[in-house]
Amino acid sequence: MMELTGLTRRFDGVPAVSDVTLTVRDDEYLTLLGPSGAGKSTLLRLIAGLERPDSGSIRLNGEDITHRPTHTRGLGFVQQSYALFPHISVFDNVAFGLRNRLVDPVTDETGVKRRVDAMLELVGLSDLGQRMPGQLSGGQKQRVSLARTLVTEPKICLLDEPLGALDANLRERMTVELRRIREALGVTFMHVTGNEAEALAMGDRMIVLDRGRAVMIDAPDTVYARPATVAVAKFLNAYNVLDGKAEIGGFRHGDVLLPLPEGAARAAHYAVRYDLASIEPAGGAPAPGRAAMPAAFIAREFLGSRVVYFLHRPDGGVFEVERHLSRSDPVDHPKDAALTVTWAVDDVLAFDASGRLIETRRLKGAA
Amino acid sequence: MHHLKVTRGALAVYTALFILFLYGPFVVMGILSFQKGPEGGPQFPILEWSTFWYSHIFGFAPPSRIAPLPIGQALTRSLTLAFATMVVSTILGTLTAQAFRTKFRGSGVVFYLVVLGMMVPGVLLGLGMALVADQLGVARNWWSTAFVLHVVYTFPFAFLVMLAIFNRFDQSVEEAAWALGVPPGRTFRKVTFPMIFPGVLSAMLFAFTLSYDEFPRTLFTGGPNVTMPLAIYGTFAVEIHPNLFAFGVLTTLFSFALLTVYGVLMGASVRRARLRAQGVQEDIA
Repeated sequence: MMELTGLTRRFDGVPAVSDVTLTVRDDEYLTLLGPSGAGKSTLLRLIAGLERPDSGSIRLNGEDITHRPTHTRGLGFVQQSYALFPHISVFDNVAFGLRNRLVDPVTDETGVKRRVDAMLELVGLSDLGQRMPGQLSGGQKQRVSLARTLVTEPKICLLDEPLGALDANLRERMTVELRRIREALGVTFMHVTGNEAEALAMGDRMIVLDRGRAVMIDAPDTVYARPATVAVAKFLNAYNVLDGKAEIGGFRHGDVLLPLPEGAARAAHYAVRYDLASIEPAGGAPAPGRAAMPAAFIAREFLGSRVVYFLHRPDGGVFEVERHLSRSDPVDHPKDAALTVTWAVDDVLAFDASGRLIETRRLKGAA
Repeated sequence: MHHLKVTRGALAVYTALFILFLYGPFVVMGILSFQKGPEGGPQFPILEWSTFWYSHIFGFAPPSRIAPLPIGQALTRSLTLAFATMVVSTILGTLTAQAFRTKFRGSGVVFYLVVLGMMVPGVLLGLGMALVADQLGVARNWWSTAFVLHVVYTFPFAFLVMLAIFNRFDQSVEEAAWALGVPPGRTFRKVTFPMIFPGVLSAMLFAFTLSYDEFPRTLFTGGPNVTMPLAIYGTFAVEIHPNLFAFGVLTTLFSFALLTVYGVLMGASVRRARLRAQGVQEDIA
């Protein structure tokens, strides 16, 4: 178990990580999501000991490791660039930590061979031990990098955008592999990513970082269904976020007045998930319990199993509606066609002026 | 089209001249070294082709009025001095460049202090060192005062070479080693050093050749036992015989041999590097 308390790191006075407090449990898959520049990599480097914190502490299994040098922390660190040792073979890369580490090196070569072979087997590279790193593909390099770290049996394995340099196809397969390998070893993974789909799919829990702060730490489905702040909602790339102000009788967004769920009288942001909105012909009055807003059709994008429709909001912004094809066939509209977008008022998330989610009646019920 | 032709012609002439000036002296020297001896002098025409002057250098020629070149011991001294300078300068240069990888306070000043060693005119530095040594009552010798100046002179070259190498060095590899539990010292030995080795070779080559034919600094600080360049210069003062040319040919061949060794070592490490760079993204099996 690792506890971070008030961890802060500034670069030239600008905080990259500020006041991060969280607990990493044993045997869990933790994803760390945030836009670029949110401080994800800095946080990981602080934990690994490659950066010094300005304040705060890191405790690993009760022991304060805040000021320990990297090589005595017993944590694994897998870099985005793989950082394989180019001058030695794959086998020697994986054996490097076992042979050369300060604490408890393995001096018996048969022991090294047994453990390296087992690890290469686990990551599916048994045949490639004698290759040089330059002769490997991107996915294979990624596996060597992972094997090299895991063979040293780290207490926690930190992964810095490990799939960032892979193409989409490879990425998807490696996500499955990563989960399998982690479960086989029972080691905690702390996985940094800028990709919301990856974070949602892989983590047992996820941390959302925004401008150096951990704004939400929760299970992926909770993060997706009820983001704690409007920044998280925007970053998930699954919500239409409308800015405006709560008034008597609803939420004022430009010229339209939208009904608000009960208890959201302080709302300053109004969010509707792409897949919970629908498109209807213009003019009709909304059904009871539903909100409606006029919109002009722009285009649709076919994504295999689903279709995303793009529409112009009255204020000029874009409103997205997502439809899964198992539920409805794609509908075509002429460009600039006047339509109405509607959604259930109960599905609306309201955020206050400071960006925090407002607990509405329905959300309380769901929790 | 016409322009291209003119440019090409001009470049061809330029290249020809360049090669002429580069190799001309060596060719003339090479030809004259086969002059007939001991009567033949350092001028054309060649009276008769012979290898007299080569055997003269090694002391196999029949005795004549021309004294053998006093190079035996001088050569040993020069090689020893160049080797020691190479070792010390390369180590210092590598360590200093390593220090410059992280910005430290006053790094700008230190940089210029280091580089000063190659900027200050050698004659001044040599004279200054001689004066200091005399003031302190230190005897001037090729292995003491001259050696120090050789290091001062060649160390900046080694440093600059290593600085360029470290500029292109990816630090994440070292971080990966630390994260595996390997302490920094061992990381340097096992990871950093093998990766910068081609640069170290270049730095060694620079230091060796610069020290080997160093003249002005050694002139003032070398003391009574001269190094090779001084010994050769000393023979000019009396009379020039083709034995100098024969010796020149031999040392040039020696330099080529050194360069060949360097080239072979460099080639081997470049081949390894190319092997590494061959990574092609392909589907994982």
